[in-house]
Amino acid sequence: MAKPLPLAPRLPTRRVRILTGIFLAAVIAFFGLGLSLGELIPRDSGFQLVLEFFSASVQPAFTYQNSEGLPSDISPFLFKVGRGLWTTLTYAVAAMSLSLIGGMVLGLFASASFWERRHPAWATFRWTVRVLIAAMRSVHELLLALVFLATLGITPGAAVLAIAIPYSGTLAKVFSEMLDESPREAADALSYLGAKPLQVFLIGRFPRALPDIAAYSFYRLECAVRSSAVMGFFGFTTIGLYLRQSFENLHYREVWTYLYALIVVVLILEVWSAHLRRRFVA
Amino acid sequence: MVHLGGTPVLRGVNLEVSCGERVALLGPSGAGKTTLLRVINGVIVPRSGSVEVQDTNLRKLDQGALRQLRSRIGFVHQDHSLVANLRVLHNVVAGRLGQRSFWSSLRDIVRTSKADLLEVHRILERVGIGDKLYQRTDSLSGGQQQRVALARALFQQPKMLLADEPVASVDPTRSRDLLNLMTELAAEEGWTLVVSIHDLELAREFFPRVVGLRNGEVYFDGPAEDLTPQMVTELYSMDSTSSTGGEQDG
Repeated sequence: MAKPLPLAPRLPTRRVRILTGIFLAAVIAFFGLGLSLGELIPRDSGFQLVLEFFSASVQPAFTYQNSEGLPSDISPFLFKVGRGLWTTLTYAVAAMSLSLIGGMVLGLFASASFWERRHPAWATFRWTVRVLIAAMRSVHELLLALVFLATLGITPGAAVLAIAIPYSGTLAKVFSEMLDESPREAADALSYLGAKPLQVFLIGRFPRALPDIAAYSFYRLECAVRSSAVMGFFGFTTIGLYLRQSFENLHYREVWTYLYALIVVVLILEVWSAHLRRRFVA
Repeated sequence: MVHLGGTPVLRGVNLEVSCGERVALLGPSGAGKTTLLRVINGVIVPRSGSVEVQDTNLRKLDQGALRQLRSRIGFVHQDHSLVANLRVLHNVVAGRLGQRSFWSSLRDIVRTSKADLLEVHRILERVGIGDKLYQRTDSLSGGQQQRVALARALFQQPKMLLADEPVASVDPTRSRDLLNLMTELAAEEGWTLVVSIHDLELAREFFPRVVGLRNGEVYFDGPAEDLTPQMVTELYSMDSTSSTGGEQDG
């Protein structure tokens, strides 16, 4: 005779509760904001603007859209785009270099695997670091930019610091998780050969996390390019500054040139990182 | 007596292994073979009883001295004991981590000295994979990776080699070659060899002395030819009291 089925776990109820919770949160947010789908359709003048803006997308500008009143010795438009891109990239790279150092150091200290085989008292230090990186992540780079603008003025340092602080925090958090998730068997084997904790970690564990760390850093560089572009809205001379000026002057074809330039940069980064990832994995 | 997670894993084990001896630990999964090996290299300290290795009582050693001792004991694991995405060269060089300071070990990895490079190559030639020197370790087969693990042990220059199921993840036709190589090396280098293994035939073929473990106790200890078929059945017979929940592998 067949044995009766074992009791099924009562998982579905819990899953349903969570999904209902998420759905309710969405509903509350929508009604709290008074959102309605009707608002998403632009009104007459807005509609005109949308039409103009998107029709400009197929004919991005290669020269100034309106050269009237511009000084005669002004550099060509594409030079301006190039200059804007270059500044955007230098801000992004400078911020990422600082973030990589900060993120790596803090990420090591925040990871559990770094403190393995060490005195348990170090756990307090580790948690202090975790709180610190949470604090660094909790303020957006645009808010920090406002603070640094007020204290330092429009200097490159202000924008770079504003980006580097939250980015260090994010990198530190993700790096520490990648380190802790990397396979540990090889590290254990090294400790069996009498290696000291730091050797075990740096030679047995760290290399296994490195491909992930590199790939994620590339993704964050992409984010840094975006953040650095937006810094232009505050007056830093990144591409965002020119983009805003063109937008305010209703020069939508110029706006699209800037946008396409940004897309090209992101695509180049993507191809480059995919190439590096292949080398790491192969 | 050794406890893991509250369950005694080894009880009343009384073993003496002389220098240069070759011993196979035989027994079913959960019998305590892995634990016994870990006790010998001081990774696990027994709650009661004493362990003496190379005339030192492990209980009296602090962490530093234990590491010192371990740096003279090679250990070959079942698998996954190599840093998969490093080159073979660097995995072998890591054999001397326990004998090097932090900075010099880092230099060994980043810029291996000419002398070490030549030595590693010679060792790899000895274990039959000299051409793999610069290959990424995870591009090698399971059997080749175990040869890298052996090369790492050779580079370490230990007095004793412990191996935990070294051929369990190697394809059967290659395991004989690997054990052959391991016992040859042990004879050449004068290593004491203690190897846990679950294949009775292999144990008989390569090891003059066999220690049978069952439920954490020594069930048999003697020359391989004294092991009768009935004793083997007994050794592997399931026992309702063999609930060794604390151990992951045999």
